[in-house]
Formats: sequence, C-alpha cells, structure tokens
Amino acid sequence: MPKSRLMNAVCEDSAELASNAVEVDLLKSPANSTALATEDQLEAGLTVHEVGSSHFLGVEGASVSFGKGNARVFALRDVSLMFERGTLSLVMGPSGSGKTTLLSMLGCLLSPDEGSVFVDDAVVNKLTEAEKTAIRQRKIGFVFQAFRLFHSLSAIDNVALGFELRDPKQSQRLEMARKLLDQFGLGDKCNQEPNELSPGERQRVAVARALAGNPPILLADEPTASLDAQAGRNICEILRNQVDEHGRTVVVVSHDPRWREFADRIITLCDGQVEQEENDL
Amino acid sequence: MKLAWQNIVHDRSRFSVTVLGVSFAVFLMVFQGSLLVGFLRAASRLIDASDSDIWITARGVQAFEFGTTVESRVREMAAGVPGVMETGRVCMAFAVYRTPKGKQQVVALVGADPNVGKRFPVPNVPELAGEISPDAVLYDVSDRDLIAVPALPTEVEINRHRASIEREIQGHGAFLGVPFLFTSYPNAIRYLGFRPNDAMYVVLRVSKGSVVADVKQSLQERLPEVDVLTRDEFAHKSRRYWTIKTGAGGAILTAAVLGFLIGLVVVSQTIYANTMENIEEYATLKALGAPKSLVARIVLTQALLCGAVGSILGLFTVIPVIDHTKSLIPWIYMPWWLPAVMILPSMTMCSLASIASVRNALTVEPGRVFRA
Repeated sequence: MPKSRLMNAVCEDSAELASNAVEVDLLKSPANSTALATEDQLEAGLTVHEVGSSHFLGVEGASVSFGKGNARVFALRDVSLMFERGTLSLVMGPSGSGKTTLLSMLGCLLSPDEGSVFVDDAVVNKLTEAEKTAIRQRKIGFVFQAFRLFHSLSAIDNVALGFELRDPKQSQRLEMARKLLDQFGLGDKCNQEPNELSPGERQRVAVARALAGNPPILLADEPTASLDAQAGRNICEILRNQVDEHGRTVVVVSHDPRWREFADRIITLCDGQVEQEENDL
Repeated sequence: MKLAWQNIVHDRSRFSVTVLGVSFAVFLMVFQGSLLVGFLRAASRLIDASDSDIWITARGVQAFEFGTTVESRVREMAAGVPGVMETGRVCMAFAVYRTPKGKQQVVALVGADPNVGKRFPVPNVPELAGEISPDAVLYDVSDRDLIAVPALPTEVEINRHRASIEREIQGHGAFLGVPFLFTSYPNAIRYLGFRPNDAMYVVLRVSKGSVVADVKQSLQERLPEVDVLTRDEFAHKSRRYWTIKTGAGGAILTAAVLGFLIGLVVVSQTIYANTMENIEEYATLKALGAPKSLVARIVLTQALLCGAVGSILGLFTVIPVIDHTKSLIPWIYMPWWLPAVMILPSMTMCSLASIASVRNALTVEPGRVFRA
C-alpha cells in the first residue's frame, strides 16, 4: 500500500475551509484526495484534521522512573520525541524499553518525573486529572492489544459509547456507530457481543470505538499482537487509512515487523532511550 | 447508564450471586429483627394492653412477670389522690396446672379487673357476658398443645382449685416457655392464695384534664414505699429487664445485633467484590476519557440495582418464613416498618460499599489498560 503524503496538499487546498474550524469537515476519498466527504462519512463524524505544527504531539526531555532508592528503575530517560500531524509513527523496541510508558505519557495517562508532554501544542503534564481526562475525551483515541471492549455491550453499543463519552448529548450516536461499523465491514455484526466476534473483528470494533467522536490522535498499543496475519494486515491498513484519508496522527507501539511498510517513521527505544530513528520511509 | 444495566444483565450468574448475598443479608437482618421486636413486644405485651395511665408496683419490680404484692391500702390511698379517676388490679404468678388426664405443668396465671383495658385478656368483661362464665380461664391458641384440653369448656385444676378452661384467645402467646392463663382478678387471687385485698399491680386511669406526670408525682410523694410508673415507663423497664438482664433476652439482642452487622458486612462485601470484578472496565472507561462522575454513577447504579433486587427477594423470602415460624415461636413479630428500617441500612451499605469500591474504580491507574 503506498504511503500517502497528500494531507499537506489537501490542507493547503482547503485552507479557507480549514481556517474556519479546527477540525475541517472535509474528507478525502481514497480515489480522489480532494473530494468532499461523502454523506455517510460526515454523518459518522469522520473529519480531516489539520496537518502542520511540529509540536503537535510529543515529549521533551521526559524521564519516568518507578520505585525508590536502590530499587528505582528508569522506564524512560531524557527522551525527546515529536510526532507531526498526519503521520503514522511506529515505536519499536524490546520489552522494558519504555514503549508503553511513552504511549501512556502521550495519552495523558502518565506524567513524567521530569520534562514535558505536548498534546495539540499544549503542555499537558501539569494539568489536573480532570483536564487530562477532558483531553483524552476530546483528542485521543486508544486501541489496545487486548481490545478492551465492554463485554456486556454489543459491537454497536461499544462504538456508541465512544460517541457518548465524547459528546453525551449526541442523540444520533447509534446511527453514527452503525455507519462506522459499516465502513469497517462489520455492518452485519452490529448486534453481536465481543465474545461472538473473531479477534480481528473485535479489534476493528475497538478501532471504530477509538474513532468515534473523531479524535485527531490515535494511540495504539500492540494492536496486531493478538491477531492472525490477515486480520493484522487489515488493522494496519485501517490505521494507515486514518492517516491518509483523515489526517489523524497515529502512534503505534508494536513488535510486529508488518508495521514497517505502513509507517512514516520508526523509532526504536532501548533501555528507556531513543536508540534509532528512521524518518521519511 | 446502559453499561451499568448491561453489566448486570449480561453476567447473570454474577448478578445472581450478588443478589443472593444481599437477599441473605436482608433475610438475616429482618428475621433477627423480628425476633428482637417480637421479644420486646412480648416482654411488655400485657402492660401495653392495659388502658391505664399509671402502674403502681412493689419497690424494685423489674418486669411484669416478677411482681410482688403491695398492701391493700396502696390502692385505697391512690384512689384518693387528686386526678385519679379509676383504679384496677392486676396480678400474675406461677401456678401448677393439671390437665383432665392428670398431666401437670407450671403456668403463668394472670388475673385482672375488667376495667384494666379493653385489649387486656380477661373473661369478666361485659362484652363476653353470657358467652362464658365470669370466672372462666382463657389461654392463647399457641399454647394449645401445652394446655392439652380435649374440648372447650373443660374442667382442669389450678393450684388444686377447680377451674374451667373456656376460650382460646390470640396474640398472647408465651415467651417464657410456660403457657399464660388469663382469668378474673378474684378468681386469680383465689387460685394463687392471695388475701382478698392484696394487689400485685395497681393500675390507674387519670381523669380528663389532669396531667399524668403531675398525678404520678403526687402518687409517688404519697406512696414512697412503692414504685409509681407511667405505663410506658413500666413497659420500657420490663423490656429492658428481659433484653439486658436475662440470658435469653441478651442472646436475642446479641443475635439481632450480630445479624444486622453480618448482614451489612455481607452486603458490603458482595457489592465491593462485584465492583472489583469490573475494575478493568472502569480503567478502560477512564482511559477513554470518561469523567469520574460517570464511572461513579455506573458503579452506584449497579450497586443500587443489585441492592434493590436483593432486598426485594430477601423480603419475599423472609415474610413467609416468619409466618411459618409463628407456629414454633409465637411471639416473633415483624412490624410493617421493620423491612423499611432494615432495607434502608442495607441500601445505604450498598451505596457505601460501592463508594468504597468506586474509590478503587476512580483511582485505578488508567495506564493499566496497556497491560495485556
């Protein structure tokens, strides 16, 4: 699958529209990068996000340690990384290298001992828990290795919950959830519970939930680790698509080498530090 | 909120265990509470059944069942105190009862004047005139096996005196382990061997316009050698004696308190465990950006739903069980307010337990969502 670099062009083309809103309600179709959003996509709440600022998402001089005294272990040590809008970054490294710690910080789930975390150009690590919760709610979608779907809710209710969390007053959430699931080929599985779905289908539901409410950032932790080859590739394509077609910023933590062909950038962590960066792949 | 409901509906076995835990707790609390309430009620039943305002007892009498006689002049002097409208006499003592077949056993014999109270079980009241003899003896239906009379009326012996058992009554079952027999005051003192003017309890009614406390004070000043108590004071004293100072009452009180506490602990434990089983989902919710208030609402809703269903189930179980138990423990009694009083703390405990578990749910590290 060719990696798209068209988002900057899209945003330049639609600069007038972009200036009127932080989230530009345009979509670029797979076939035509400048086409307007289809009605279905708009109703499902998928939008194109502005590409630009270099401090959109990242950490600067971040150190995180666990334990005290002699037992203190650094999960991350003085790490500085920035993730540009509209890119898919792959974070790799051996177990214990700090990948998940980095993802937790980017997701406002963990604050560094030292350094700063940026989300949407704002330093977030000094914010209160409620403020961080609000940022997660509005700006960040999560995809987990273990899916973390609500086992008692059907696929459509899981996705609808994603909409509800981002906008409790959204009355069309079920219709929007159905359209999202349709887009991911799960239109006929809407009413099935997670344990009635295959792992690949569960992960697609989880991605749909993460996208509900249209967050500009997607953070994925080993999203293909529990999936077979075909289902894993399917998830890779879906997340790549979110970058190419919707301008989202995607950070994937994975050991899975399949991601290499989908990533714009590969960061390798080792012992809590950046060992290698491969850009412009 | 759909998540709260779906969590409950989805995992029916867990929901059943939770509901069973709560219903067991409610059952335990209501049953033990009914035993205690019934025991307290039985301990002062005859005092409460009187229409009197004031009871005069020998000094130091702790309970109705353990009175001693007072001098006859007490009644005469009391009758002369301003504000006293009417006096009556009540006595109670243990006697030997012999059935027609010669079986002997101890009974508690109660005698009272007809003016003691409309609810007080005495045969010589105008309402029963012509139906039974003025000196008839009554017994409670729950003591039928102990009284062992083949038909009514039946001639029996009480303290070697001939007596006629003529009627069954309800609501005055024994709680002492011996049956109560009720008869007229003159009949009772004859069976018990009291002197004609002796009284064990002198009961007084205060005239309209008089203040009971004032009359009581006047009586106490005039009769310092006896105890003068309002009806409620004597009832309270009697209940207190039976529950605090006797082993049986102490055991029932302790069992009731323990039942209440165990019930609360069971409810708390059950709800807490139920919440903790979903802790991963709450972590996910938080990670996805759910505000604390939403997580708290979900936990609280689940707890209250489980508490409400468990309480209703517990009540539907305990009510027939208590009815059935009345054949074995006639004095067990569940007042209408007891379920409410017991459900209230159990629902409160559901809430508190869920709040305690909410704290875990709210403080759960959302970062754990990344652990597979």
